[in-house]
Amino acid sequence: MLGMGTGILLAIFGAALAVLLAGIGSAISVGRVGQAAAGVVSEDPDKFGSVLILQALPGTQGIYGLLVGFLILQRTGLIGGAPAALSLEQGLAFFFAGLPIAIGGMVSAFAQGKTAISGVHLVAKRPEESGKAIIFAVMVETYAVLALLMSILMLFGIQV
Amino acid sequence: MGIAKMSKVTLLAHQTDKERILDLLQQSGVLEISDLTEQLAAEEPLADFLEQDQEQEAMQAVEKSMAEVRFNLDFLNRYHRVNKGLLDDLLAEKKALTVSEVEENVPTWAEISSKVYQTFKAIDEQLLALRNEETRLQNLRKQLQPWQKLTLPLEDLKDSKTVRLQLAAVPAAQLAGLEAELAASGAAYYLELIDSQRGESFILLAAYTADEEAVQDVIKQFDFNRHLLPALTGTAAENLAKLEQELLDVQTAQEEALARIAEQVQFREVLLYYYDYLSVQRDQKQSVELLARTESTFLLEGWVPTAEVEGLRQKVSALNDSIQISVREPYEDEDFPVQFENKPFFAPYEFVTKLYGAPNPRSVDPTAPFTPFFVIFFGLCLTDAGYGVILMLLGLLGLRKVKGESMRNLLKILVACGFSTVVCGWLIGGWFGYPLFGAPLLFDALSDPMRLLVYSLALGILHIFWGMAVKCISLVREGKIFDALADVGLWYGLIIGLLLLALPSTAAIGKNMALVSTVGLILTQGRSQPTLLKKIFSGVLSLYDITGYFSDLLSYSRLLALGLATGVVSLTVNTMADLLSGHPIGYVAMAVLLVGGHTFNLAINALGSFIHSARLQYIEFYNRFYEGGGRIFRPFRYNTSHIEILGEGAQEK
Repeated sequence: MLGMGTGILLAIFGAALAVLLAGIGSAISVGRVGQAAAGVVSEDPDKFGSVLILQALPGTQGIYGLLVGFLILQRTGLIGGAPAALSLEQGLAFFFAGLPIAIGGMVSAFAQGKTAISGVHLVAKRPEESGKAIIFAVMVETYAVLALLMSILMLFGIQV
Repeated sequence: MGIAKMSKVTLLAHQTDKERILDLLQQSGVLEISDLTEQLAAEEPLADFLEQDQEQEAMQAVEKSMAEVRFNLDFLNRYHRVNKGLLDDLLAEKKALTVSEVEENVPTWAEISSKVYQTFKAIDEQLLALRNEETRLQNLRKQLQPWQKLTLPLEDLKDSKTVRLQLAAVPAAQLAGLEAELAASGAAYYLELIDSQRGESFILLAAYTADEEAVQDVIKQFDFNRHLLPALTGTAAENLAKLEQELLDVQTAQEEALARIAEQVQFREVLLYYYDYLSVQRDQKQSVELLARTESTFLLEGWVPTAEVEGLRQKVSALNDSIQISVREPYEDEDFPVQFENKPFFAPYEFVTKLYGAPNPRSVDPTAPFTPFFVIFFGLCLTDAGYGVILMLLGLLGLRKVKGESMRNLLKILVACGFSTVVCGWLIGGWFGYPLFGAPLLFDALSDPMRLLVYSLALGILHIFWGMAVKCISLVREGKIFDALADVGLWYGLIIGLLLLALPSTAAIGKNMALVSTVGLILTQGRSQPTLLKKIFSGVLSLYDITGYFSDLLSYSRLLALGLATGVVSLTVNTMADLLSGHPIGYVAMAVLLVGGHTFNLAINALGSFIHSARLQYIEFYNRFYEGGGRIFRPFRYNTSHIEILGEGAQEK
């Protein structure tokens, strides 16, 4: 680890942020939806299936974050190879590539969590409409997917 | 294909035929009863003849029986839970019974149900009493427990004229102080330490009544907690032994009661069947509320798929030729319920359509148009041939075992989507994240994402164009050729022109196409407006819709992102597993990690693929042609979960 340049440290920082922020967003949101879902299941255990799907939805941002973090580590040779000697600019580039999913993922996870909670309430009142509750939450997911896409495209575009 | 034609059927019959007709309708399951009461209540002279609430009593009887059966089942489940796996519900087969078999069995079922109900009510009360008794005994035991070393019989613990006796607890640390203070007070007393437990000393204190005040003054300074025991005979130890015996008796009684509940477990099936029968009855009674009734006749109106009308007419006339049947087509502006009619390959995807809601009964059924795209999108979102194989196997295995119609449809979707995933994975992905059979046939999505992005957007253009084509076809069918040309053709021209503009070799043609289409759109899109100025203005404004097309198109980039997500997560799992290899324990951990990681990845991404493929239909595809606002056809039929009632003609009864 001696002599690790600022470049690689920045890249690691980017990977850490992607996993951390997106993960925080997902963890908090999945937790909140779970609380609402538990309330519904306490009244009617049969609704478990449909509220579980709603709870899982804001969890994807955390996975996207992990994915980008992993890609950064792989592209910089920290997993499965020798760490590449990155220049400061390259390191910064990796750092920035982590940002879309880090911030976009976290914020969209919060927003999706709120939508999913409302969806849980919808399922409680009208179980036959659970498909619509899921669609509402998936509308938010788009922006996490777009953030992920941008992070991935940036990562593949950086020359190492 | 598409949305079934519906006819409105009206039956006029005598009250005496009512039950038989409803039985027949419920059994055929092809008619959705419309609510006539509200419609007719408004018509003045008629309304006076209408009867209300004839079925109230019968309804209450059914509901009372249902409440009993529900109590029975709940009670059984509370003490004898059925341990069922996740899949048991899906694999469960309904017991098939014919109508007459059901009729034969019902008296027995009813008798069993009410017997079980009485037994359970009695056991319930007994268990409650036993629980109360148990609590009382346990409290008593807690009270007596500190005094088990007291040799004095409890009935002798009484004050005499001159001596006052009390039992009390004091903190062990204060005992010496208490004794010293009592001695110092000069009162005549006797103090015996009976027992010490958990830092407390249990004492017997006897004192002359004459010294009562002096003793009280001392006691006040300490945490002296007097114990008052209930009036019992014998020593505390004797009483405790008796209590233990009584508690054992209570337990035995409880076990006996539970055993008696266990005896009733054999009736669980019957109770479930009876519940089904009762809910069928309740549905029938409820449907009566929708009919228009006079004292001796009733009028029933409902929607029937046109294809089923003839069969139903024959069955109804066979009941009694006095029944008047009239059939008509829906009026021009009358909405009828939506029943989908699709070829067997497309029919399962009606599930996806219904998830969104029913289309307008006079518009297009989107099911068949979106099915190929749905399946392809699913495959692209997952893009792992190994996962595809697993999904296909799961689907095929399920189809062999599962009987339920709606579940079978889902499994058929699973098989098709699994197949599409295998193809996509083989072309551009891997097998569980490994290139098992060499490099992907087309290209590796992970190393060339830009190419996949272009393909995704190209698929998006196809999808959107196909959606516009669907609109075009339905406009042409309605004879609106001009609308088809203006609203679809010109947009085709503009979008294709813009696309051609991007390529240098075709730029010139593209430019002209786009220009002509733009002018055409400006001239035609405002044609519904009254004045020339407004026509031109809203024509120009309509060009703004191009942003809608553009953002819809970008939305297809999710195909790339989701495909890569699956690929990279399986890569992550594999890389982590690789790190563990090279050690015996490492191999075990590796296997656990591989199985667990891939199962998780498959589960979460298959869910995501399904939802996102559906979303691309609902938002991007529907946008082009879909008209909502329909209502799903819900025929009056048997709604059972444990028995399947087979028809054999209600006329036999």
